[in-house]
Amino acid sequence: MYNWRKLIDKLFTYMVIAVSIVAISPVIHLIITVLLNGTMVIVKTGINFFISLPPTPFSKDFGGIAPAIVGSLLMTFISLPITIVLGLFAAILTTEFPKNTISIVIDTIAKSLASIPTIAVSMIVYTIIVVPMRSFSALAGSIALTIVSLPYAYTYFSTTLRSVPFIYREAAFSIAMSRWSTVLKILIPVVRRGIVTAILMTLVRILGETAALLFTAGRFRNGVTISPLAPADAIPLLIFDFVLSPYEIWRQVAWGASALLLLSYMVIFFTVKFLVKEVKL
Amino acid sequence: MNLLAVEMKNVNVYIGNRHILKDVTLKIPSNTVFVIMGPSGSGKTTLLRVINRLIDLIEDARVEGYVKVLGFDIMKSDPYELRKYIGMVFQIPNPFPHLTIYENIAIAAKINGVAKDKKELDNIVRWALEKAMLWDEVRNRLHDYPHQLSGGQRQRLCLARALAMKPKLLLLDEPTANIDPVNARKLEEAIVSLKDEVTVIMVTHSPYQAARVADYVAVLYDGKVVEQGPAQQLFLRPSTEITQKLLRGEM
Ligand SMILES: Nc1ncnc2c1ncn2[C@@H]1O[C@H](COP(=O)(O)OP(=O)(O)OP(=O)(O)O)[C@@H](O)[C@H]1O
Ligand SMILES: [Mg+2]
Repeated sequence: MYNWRKLIDKLFTYMVIAVSIVAISPVIHLIITVLLNGTMVIVKTGINFFISLPPTPFSKDFGGIAPAIVGSLLMTFISLPITIVLGLFAAILTTEFPKNTISIVIDTIAKSLASIPTIAVSMIVYTIIVVPMRSFSALAGSIALTIVSLPYAYTYFSTTLRSVPFIYREAAFSIAMSRWSTVLKILIPVVRRGIVTAILMTLVRILGETAALLFTAGRFRNGVTISPLAPADAIPLLIFDFVLSPYEIWRQVAWGASALLLLSYMVIFFTVKFLVKEVKL
Repeated sequence: MNLLAVEMKNVNVYIGNRHILKDVTLKIPSNTVFVIMGPSGSGKTTLLRVINRLIDLIEDARVEGYVKVLGFDIMKSDPYELRKYIGMVFQIPNPFPHLTIYENIAIAAKINGVAKDKKELDNIVRWALEKAMLWDEVRNRLHDYPHQLSGGQRQRLCLARALAMKPKLLLLDEPTANIDPVNARKLEEAIVSLKDEVTVIMVTHSPYQAARVADYVAVLYDGKVVEQGPAQQLFLRPSTEITQKLLRGEM
């Protein structure tokens, strides 16, 4: 009797493990392939990968992706803070005052924004920003990125805020804390790890977004500029273009760029997760 | 000071379409220990939540009737102002998990401007912990976090937090539920000794505890006050069957 139960228990444990391995193996395969192929390119190129312009199709050495790196950083730098501030503020409003008309409007807008294809966002921004300004620009790209990532940031933040147990909210109110200090001094700090994770997810979303940039940023890779009004490149844009190109050397550079993106995600995730400790309830 | 700390007339509370408190009329004299008894689900916690208007936090709750607390007509006054004078200890211990023992108490003292400088704050923290019978256990670990405390210690920490506001009214929802009999006795003594400064409204399921601390008792059953009066009288001559059962521990 006892052994029978033990056997079933073992059987199920192994089955769960097996199914999990099958489920995540494509992801692991993908990660390993990208890292293997990509790091090789980066290692071979060395520092030049970060500071040089991309190679011409028939060039001998790989060159670098400096315009894409700078462009990605610039657009992230503009877009991320705006997205986080707006997303968090909206999330606070809708979790604290769910019945308020403004909250209902915000929630509806966020849900419908999330359902617009990002390529359509790119076209909309093209029409209302790029055309009047007569130029692709990092600014237009940043605006598109913000529109695309805002509903996600909002959803991450509101899910996180809603996860704070009701008893802490009650405790805060019982010592006469105002609604805003309850949010800022109690609710957010209690779920600080969730908030940080939400910020990282937003960052990843922004860094990896491609379609939103197609008709906005301008894919300018013949030089490096940090003017928000000038056309710019981005790492995922470069990957997109180079992978589809017929030139072997560009495809190699695309591997390198992918690995760089992946590595930077990992570094950011692990450092922040390590630095921000979970609050034990 | 008013003679009545709390006065309720025909108070009805609805949550959604459920009628939770029914025509509650109560008079709670100042500087007394007023005990509320009643079976689970009878509305004791809800009654406490009306007094400091935490009931506002419940999305679809509606309160009708007249409630006067410490001279405030609470339906017409600012709940944040009102709450400054009312401390509460909850049924489930809820110290702020991201703050240390010290900070948990200091935050309550600070919000109400009770302390003027660091030294005064230290004194209040110590005073509150002593009153809550926790000082000896945590004096050397004030910078530990609540999750490092036992359940009973957490509950006493919550009492200390409430006391640090220097409230005029203290709402205690089964404050000794997680505490051993020895500490519970000490806490009862502390509660009784607070009477000079505060009015205490306390929920308990233990008739013995009620008998030890109560000046007045109200019995709640299915949202209605079935009996209320001076403790002695109520314990010696309970006038309803519900009270008799409750006192015999049969409910
Ligand atoms: N947030 C809420 N939403 C809906 N119903 C609620 C809520 N809080 C309490 N109630 C209902 O109100 C009634 C009274 O609840 P209350 O918590 O006041 O009981 P209690 O006397 O404190 O019980 P206990 O001794 O178990 O703590 C119960 O029937 C409960 O289901
Ligand atoms: Mg209760």
